[in-house]
Amino acid sequence: MSGHGGPKKTIATRAIQAASLLVTFGVLYGVTRVTPELESHLGTVAAVGFLLLAGTLMSELLETIGLPHLSGYLLAGIIGGPHVLHLVDHHTVQELSPVNTLALSLIALAGGAELRLDTLRSVARGLAWATLIQSAFVLVCVAGVFLAIASYIPFTHGLNSKALIGVALLWGVLAVSRSPSACMGILSQTRAKGPVATFSLAFIMLSDVVVVILLATMIMLARPLITASGGISLEDFTVLGHEILASIAVGVTLGLGLAVYLRLVGRQLLLVLLAIGFGLSDTFSYIHVDSLLAFLSAGFVVTNLSDQGPKLLHSIEQTGSVVFVVFFATAGAHLDIPLLRQLWPVAIALCASRAFFTVVAGRISSRLAEDPAVLKRWGWSSLVSQAGLALGLSVVIAKAFPSFGEGFRSLAIAAVAINEMVGPILFKFALDRAGETDRHEPEVRPSLPDAPAAP
Amino acid sequence: MNGIPFLLGLLVLAYLGSILVGGRAIRGFGLASGAEYLVLGFVLGPQVLSVVGRSLVDNFQPVVLVGVSWLGLVLGVSYLRVGERRVPLPHIVLGVALSALVSACVTATVYFGASQFSPLPRTEVIALAATAGIVCSETTRHSVRWVVERYGAKGPLADLAADTARASALFSLLALAVVSAWLPGAALPAISVLERVLVSLGLGVVLGFTAALLLGREFRRDESWGILLGTSLLGTGAAARLNLSPISATFAMGLTLALVSRHRIDIKAMVTPTEKPVLLPVVLLAGAYVNVKLPIPLLVLVAVALVSKIVARVACGGLLSITAKPVRGVGLEFGGSMLSAGALGLAVALAFGLRHPGVVADTVLLLAAVSVLVGEWLGPASLRRALSRAGEIKPETPASEPQPTLPSEA
Repeated sequence: MSGHGGPKKTIATRAIQAASLLVTFGVLYGVTRVTPELESHLGTVAAVGFLLLAGTLMSELLETIGLPHLSGYLLAGIIGGPHVLHLVDHHTVQELSPVNTLALSLIALAGGAELRLDTLRSVARGLAWATLIQSAFVLVCVAGVFLAIASYIPFTHGLNSKALIGVALLWGVLAVSRSPSACMGILSQTRAKGPVATFSLAFIMLSDVVVVILLATMIMLARPLITASGGISLEDFTVLGHEILASIAVGVTLGLGLAVYLRLVGRQLLLVLLAIGFGLSDTFSYIHVDSLLAFLSAGFVVTNLSDQGPKLLHSIEQTGSVVFVVFFATAGAHLDIPLLRQLWPVAIALCASRAFFTVVAGRISSRLAEDPAVLKRWGWSSLVSQAGLALGLSVVIAKAFPSFGEGFRSLAIAAVAINEMVGPILFKFALDRAGETDRHEPEVRPSLPDAPAAP
Repeated sequence: MNGIPFLLGLLVLAYLGSILVGGRAIRGFGLASGAEYLVLGFVLGPQVLSVVGRSLVDNFQPVVLVGVSWLGLVLGVSYLRVGERRVPLPHIVLGVALSALVSACVTATVYFGASQFSPLPRTEVIALAATAGIVCSETTRHSVRWVVERYGAKGPLADLAADTARASALFSLLALAVVSAWLPGAALPAISVLERVLVSLGLGVVLGFTAALLLGREFRRDESWGILLGTSLLGTGAAARLNLSPISATFAMGLTLALVSRHRIDIKAMVTPTEKPVLLPVVLLAGAYVNVKLPIPLLVLVAVALVSKIVARVACGGLLSITAKPVRGVGLEFGGSMLSAGALGLAVALAFGLRHPGVVADTVLLLAAVSVLVGEWLGPASLRRALSRAGEIKPETPASEPQPTLPSEA
């Protein structure tokens, strides 16, 4: 992702970008019309190129109206995706899952590396209150709204009141999940520094751990409410505890290894990050270690136990400048627009209530923690975005409760789609208004001169 | 073996490749053509140890496609320059003409042999003959670089060798565009072969112009990567979907960038170091794809094509010793030096295999692999002899250390 601040781009530059965007769409549109069915997986290559180029150009064009780059990537994916122009089909979106794996590992590594102990200490009080209030208050209130509008939600019809409470609590857990990727995406673009940026990053990374624990708790509590034969079992907690400890242990080991490599070798970091992203994510999944937490711990260790943090962050930024565009554009292509069209009234009601209670919870926690004024005003802004993590939770819930799981998941997809589009815009707006966005020009230089012709 | 360990293995190779182009490695280290990685791939592949099975190798088709197409882009971007020096137009013309001549000889020989002795249908015979000719028309510039850097050679003969080797890529990739457009199964059946060739090259030119425009006035390295990768992958994928030649499209894109972008030097400096890291995994995969269990007539044809190539190259050297001043007196050695084959021949064979899989593609890939091995044996030694006899190498002092100011590629 390119930096936010830069020399003002002229109308000619914007016109070239718009024309190039048309060429990009035109090339793939022409090709997909000539060869509509693709038997091999070679079409993935064109899709990656298209998403990368169209996402970059769309983000540049949307920048003119103040929207974040992330919205541009998403929009490019939506327009080119299976539900609008069908330039990238469902199969290709599935084939791009390794890119998502890589992007998520880079996001978690970068997220951990951004968390310095001294800055964490400075926001520790606010963080503790926010975690408590945002988790408890938002969970309960959104669950209440869910109960209130349950008669408009098709998959809840036929559930008794106890089961309904169970489902509402599960929806409440979904509501307190945030998007580390969207947060990192916006921070990477804006290069924001300040209380809102620091608090957002720390809170969202911490909330990733909290929400996993909350989900296990709620599944345990909801099971006897939803299924007559179900009982409370602490076994889930044992498994979860092992997973969290193992993830942190593995992450610390990886972090130490990375720090040693960065110090002693420090070269070919692109290839090292690719190997870590692809190879270790797969291994972690195999040994039941939470990748996000492990990479987060690794980044944290590199930054806080060595002086190699800036080098790691710089490498991730370079690699991510390409990977993140494809990741978010793929997320856009993945958005189920027909489903959103079908469920939009309920989804909007749930999203609006979630955003409202998030703002209220933000205000309460800031007051209790005596946060600075800027944090009281904008501290909630990063918490509206949702993306892959929320969808992952909905899959877990759908698997745990197959009787209503698919309906639950569909509604979750629709709600996440809205939050995914609206959240980043709010966060960037807040960072701009809080004055934390970096407006320095990125490094540019004139081109190297041509060598003289050989005699 | 599943995909992830194999992918990690390829990344390790890429890591090795990036070290080889880095400042700490000894220039001229390893074999000139990268033949050792080809052999390693063959040994690990389904033909020998089967550590890497056929289905796994097939799953890596997109990696091969992207690798060979990126190679095409690198070749295009760096086509007009050897290091800091521009390649003179007469040398480009000479390089292309030599390639065309050798290709014609091999094509004619293989066509005659295949028509007479192989059971292949006529279309397949033409495809085999044409692609065998294309594969044999390449002289790898890495071999020239290897000898020049290892022995510290300098002079008109070294320059001519480097220039003609570089120029040979143009013929190979244009000819591949023609063959891909001509083969059955190409999209756009309503238009002629020539028009399909223009579509594949035009795609590269349009995307090259687009990239040049987007790179704009100032050069931002991070943004440039996104634009270059995006345009090249779009071009690669679009050409592959149309069943045209992706490597030709990306070559056209690279050449367009080299001609019209004001950042041509920056772009070359950016993409050239990526060549080895991409190349080594592709060469390893090429080794794994090689199939030696072919019908006897086709194996004989591979041998015949190779002999034909050697004869044509040596004859070209003889011809040059009469017409080109730097080659005077060292014609046979210079002809022998042009036998060096490498990445481009393998890339052409792989691209052809993706476009038209089957026994013909297997034969062409085997020919490319054998050409690399034979070229490795004969080419660098011949060039070294030619340069010594021309007085461009001091025989008693082979350079033990690289010249620090030498560019990263020839």
